[in-house]
Amino acid sequence: MNRQEFESKNQTEWQVFEQQLKGAEGGKAPADGHKLPSRFRKICYDLSLAQYRMFGHGICDKLNALAIRGYRTIHRKRGAFGEGAIKFVMQTFPRTIRREWKLFAIVSAVFWLPFFAMWWSADKEIHWVQALLGSEQMASIDGMYGKDADTVEHLRQEHGSNFMMFAHYINNNVGIDFRLFAGGIFFGIGTLFYLIYNGLFFGAVVGYVEYAGEPELLWRFVAGHSSFELLGMLVVGMAGLKMGFSLLAPGQLGRGEALTKAGRDGLPLLIGGALLTSLAAVVEGFWSAQPMAPNIKYTVGITFWGLHLLYFVFAGRRFGGA
Amino acid sequence: MAIPARRIDTLQTVELAEGMEIHLRAAGPFLRLIAYILDLLVEVAALLLIQLFFNLIFPLVGSNVSQAFMLLSVFCVWWFYHVLFEISPWGATVGKKALGLRVVDEAGGGVTLGQAMIRNFIRGVEMILPFVPLIAFFNPRFQRLGDLAAGTLVVYARPRIDPLLLGPLPLEKVPVNLTLSREEEAAILSFRYRNGGWSEARRMELSNHLSKVTGEVGPKGVSKILGMAQWLEEQR
Repeated sequence: MNRQEFESKNQTEWQVFEQQLKGAEGGKAPADGHKLPSRFRKICYDLSLAQYRMFGHGICDKLNALAIRGYRTIHRKRGAFGEGAIKFVMQTFPRTIRREWKLFAIVSAVFWLPFFAMWWSADKEIHWVQALLGSEQMASIDGMYGKDADTVEHLRQEHGSNFMMFAHYINNNVGIDFRLFAGGIFFGIGTLFYLIYNGLFFGAVVGYVEYAGEPELLWRFVAGHSSFELLGMLVVGMAGLKMGFSLLAPGQLGRGEALTKAGRDGLPLLIGGALLTSLAAVVEGFWSAQPMAPNIKYTVGITFWGLHLLYFVFAGRRFGGA
Repeated sequence: MAIPARRIDTLQTVELAEGMEIHLRAAGPFLRLIAYILDLLVEVAALLLIQLFFNLIFPLVGSNVSQAFMLLSVFCVWWFYHVLFEISPWGATVGKKALGLRVVDEAGGGVTLGQAMIRNFIRGVEMILPFVPLIAFFNPRFQRLGDLAAGTLVVYARPRIDPLLLGPLPLEKVPVNLTLSREEEAAILSFRYRNGGWSEARRMELSNHLSKVTGEVGPKGVSKILGMAQWLEEQR
């Protein structure tokens, strides 16, 4: 069979397929939709044949274009969003955390060691903390948690200010999460920098408030959202470090492939961490500043930490004989 | 064409699960830079419009609420403009769409939400060190780091169909009496299919590479190769 015969024999089939594709791409359900896959297979077969026999650019390019469009149409990824979301929360996310427990240990150490070191140093020698915070930060901390501060609860009485702070936390904290993740692309250095810096900074704030302010004001404000916010940050950090490690030690894969794999495997961590941080913004915006007895706030805060622990350890496990 | 694509063209060969090979035309960094600049303009315009809107309704809802909506809008536009457009049926942001580009996964299909997030979030830090996106020049698929991490690439949305530019018919057929590999055969055929679009000087420049085979240089070499192509074509 030469080129002319091949072309004239199959021409009509190709045109029918193209017509049907146009309908399907426009979102309409074509009358004989069930025939699309078999026609697509025929296109694939014709393309391979034309390529192998080198029937020239005209035919090969046309069939190539049809094959690409057919592939896009047939392999369209459209899942049920609700079901996917539930599966993600109940299974994928906690399972990924457990699978990457080593990374979790690393990011926890990288964050908590500087945190406690800084806090501890405030007790011995306050200059470290003062040098890190700077005068402006210290003034603003004095304003919020100082001895005679206008408390957060009081400031949030104004109409809409809770919503305003919620928006601010989303914009700021979730944005930081995304940068924390992306920084991992530089061999993990960006992620490590953010984690260490945040550890030092939070430690310094706590240390400074213990030194110069009213610690109870701080603790009762942060108790509620602390678990969401800190765990969210650490989990996103895991995704960032995963990319960094894949570039440093790609193992048996090429660096490019290893990076692709790390991106794919770490994705639940990025999304899950960002969700935790968003929840933190909800709690921090609408609940943390409610006037309430400190003991209630501490209880709620500790309960949330406990629930996180249970969720990460037990959610999505198969019990019994499955 | 299956085998020669790697050397004759800048096409990327991808093997699909269906067992066939398709060719993707990866878009170069220059075009993508222009698309990025267009997108920046779109983002700024969108933010200005949103700000105008909230300035207008500001007396109704109060300063805190309008400021909050403003912050949320900034967040959505800044982090999700690219992401949402790239997972839409367009598969491209406004800038890319305008230039006829499209973001696809490594098999030429649409990207998922996660892939779009990874590739766009990483761009933010790639821009911190402006030489980092230039890594795309050293990748055969022009993938920058974000593309590598997400497993995506940017291609021309419409696979281009080259017009057949046959040029003048050769005067005589020239039998090819040596064994050609498939790639060599395809190269000679491509020369015939495309030479109508070139200047005479370019034709001679290319055909002179084959002077050892044809034994001729200049215009005679050109017509000899065209004759060989004609002979090869009639063989099939």
